[in-house]
Amino acid sequence: MKKTMKIAAMVAGLAMVLSGVAFSAGTIKVGHLADLTGPTGDVGKPYAEGVQAYKEYVNAHGGINGKTIDMQMFDYAYNKDKAINQYKKYKEDKVVAIEGWGTGDTEALTGFVSADKVPYISASYSAHLTDPKKAPYNFFCAADYTTALRAGLKYLKDNWKEKRAPKIVFIYPNVPYGISPIKGGKEYAKELGFEVLSDENVDLKAIEANSQMLSVKNKNADFGWIGGTTNSTAVILKDAKKLGLKTKFFSNIWGIDESTPKLAAGAEEGALVMAGSVRYGDKVPGMKLLMSVEKKPQVTHYIRGWVSMMVLVEALKRADKATGGKITGPAVKAALETFRDFDTGGLTPAKITFTSTDHRPFMAVNIMEFQKGKLVLKKTMVLPRKAEWLGL
Amino acid sequence: MQYCGDFRTTYEKDVKIFQTPFVKICMGFLGVALVALPFLVKGEYLWISMQIVIAVIGAVGLNILTGFTGQISLGQGAFLGVGAYTSAYITAKMGLPFWVGVPAAGCVTALAGMIFGIPSLRLKGLYLAIATLASQFILEWIFLRWEPVTGGSYGIVVPRPSIGGFVFDTDRSYYYVVLVIAAAMVLFATNLMRTRTGRAFMAVRDHYISAEIMGINLFKYRILSFAVSSFYAGVAGALYGHSLRYVSSEQFNIGVSIVYLAMIIIGGLGSIIGSIFGAVFMILLPQLLTVVTTQLGSSFPGIAEVAIALEQGIFGAIIIMFLIFEPDGLAHRWKMIKAYWKLYPFSY
Repeated sequence: MKKTMKIAAMVAGLAMVLSGVAFSAGTIKVGHLADLTGPTGDVGKPYAEGVQAYKEYVNAHGGINGKTIDMQMFDYAYNKDKAINQYKKYKEDKVVAIEGWGTGDTEALTGFVSADKVPYISASYSAHLTDPKKAPYNFFCAADYTTALRAGLKYLKDNWKEKRAPKIVFIYPNVPYGISPIKGGKEYAKELGFEVLSDENVDLKAIEANSQMLSVKNKNADFGWIGGTTNSTAVILKDAKKLGLKTKFFSNIWGIDESTPKLAAGAEEGALVMAGSVRYGDKVPGMKLLMSVEKKPQVTHYIRGWVSMMVLVEALKRADKATGGKITGPAVKAALETFRDFDTGGLTPAKITFTSTDHRPFMAVNIMEFQKGKLVLKKTMVLPRKAEWLGL
Repeated sequence: MQYCGDFRTTYEKDVKIFQTPFVKICMGFLGVALVALPFLVKGEYLWISMQIVIAVIGAVGLNILTGFTGQISLGQGAFLGVGAYTSAYITAKMGLPFWVGVPAAGCVTALAGMIFGIPSLRLKGLYLAIATLASQFILEWIFLRWEPVTGGSYGIVVPRPSIGGFVFDTDRSYYYVVLVIAAAMVLFATNLMRTRTGRAFMAVRDHYISAEIMGINLFKYRILSFAVSSFYAGVAGALYGHSLRYVSSEQFNIGVSIVYLAMIIIGGLGSIIGSIFGAVFMILLPQLLTVVTTQLGSSFPGIAEVAIALEQGIFGAIIIMFLIFEPDGLAHRWKMIKAYWKLYPFSY
């Protein structure tokens, strides 16, 4: 027992020392959960690199009012248990905010971050995370899935020339990520005068979608929403082309990216994507800095990672000023909620605003179309910030 | 196993849980260690300890069904989910306390288990495994689609328990809640196996026709076994949901069911202590591998990515090795170690 007590005393002593140094030495501790090697690693890696690249840039250019950001990336390989374990470690380290990644870690940690008051900036754009009543400490920097779907519907309806009502089919995997925007999207589609056909389910790991596409063909759908990831979307596009469908497809932010032409082998022509940023090399003010840091062309996910760190850095700066150097989680949240038309240098479709009652960054989407293997910006669609859409 | 000088003159002595004073002392030490644990570890390790204690409840439950009654179930993950959602609905949506939610979770899951256990009357072995697999998928679909109750794709945020003004907000305090419930349930399971009901379970497992001829109502005991097992799963699921403060459909997939099945196979089928070993093993091993691969990755940066990818492979290999070299599970190995020291140095 004596030994146990000794060990206990030592552990307690060590804990005090560790927690003491957390704020000293001019560093700010931030967590970073990323998927580099897991099932979403192909898009997770560029996103995480974007986050880290901006951090490196800030640390090399003055940091947060003179303090450096201590942000070690942790590869949780899309394993939620690993994410939770690492989160517990971050909590012991007293991080003031966390850069997260996908649905897996974000959903698993939603309860914790609001109880522990740690702002969590992720790339899971599920609409319920924008409602501070449900998820007060969750933030992200792109249009939520439902808003993106609504923007796509509006764009398609605006360009619809025929007299009859356009027919639309929703194709999505039977997982929370696929299902979450469907309800809000269908309501809006009916409001706009679409004829909503019965749904089709295509699994995220599908290797063919013949029966679903045949059904879409028989239903004579004019438009098809694809709410999957790049692999399943490519499968859908390929099988649709093979069966000679006339349907025009539009996909959510994770369904189509620069890797699609390689996966879909030409079937991507004319498909639309609801992107949350500009492309690498686009002529916007913020791109100059990004291109000076990262010389190689990058996918849009990299740019969104970059932007999400840009937003966090700005929040840390504001929180540092407001608290006189004693940054806490709630202070970072409060700082984020002071964002009013924060300019990302044109990297996002619109300027970012967060309030204490509304965590939707903006209501805009860059609608891009594949033309001859290249993504071309068709329109930046801006929707009104309707209160009844919050969280749905 | 019996040793020289260990005389048992009554049946009561033969079925005693703690056979010798030495065992009692050991259990006392174990109890003290478990109570002291939150003061020795923190953060990540405290969280993992808590998850192990919760998994012990679920593993003991599955062992009652699969190990003691011989009914294979691939639906444990979904039954955990039923418990988690029931307690989440009762605490978060109806506003009732945790102390109502958890027993209710057990009861509702027991009911669900009884319904999905009905095929066990006609189906055995692999066929029953497939039938319970169906329950896994049906329940998962319900979690995702029954939006008014389960919150659909958004899930439910659930509170931690409280008594009076005290909220079990920290992992340390909540660990004790989990520990007390787990200890009570493990003790209950151990005792259950010494009763008429427990012996009936084992008779059904060993030879169902003989059991029936002896007057054991097969249907009753199979369904009862499903009910008891699911009650455990429900409580474990509820405790898990409250520990995570959030319940969503993706937490209770087929992978969870398989991990639980692996726990009892590796720990030892038909052994309560085996379920405990299995739960500890299956949760600690991936952690250990992570530590090893991270170390490897940091000392040899070139293989960092491969090391992480290898983790799953090594995990699988270790399980296969275990099954080859210790087919009766960790419980058997434990017995052998005990016997070795008891007979030392004159093992014969």
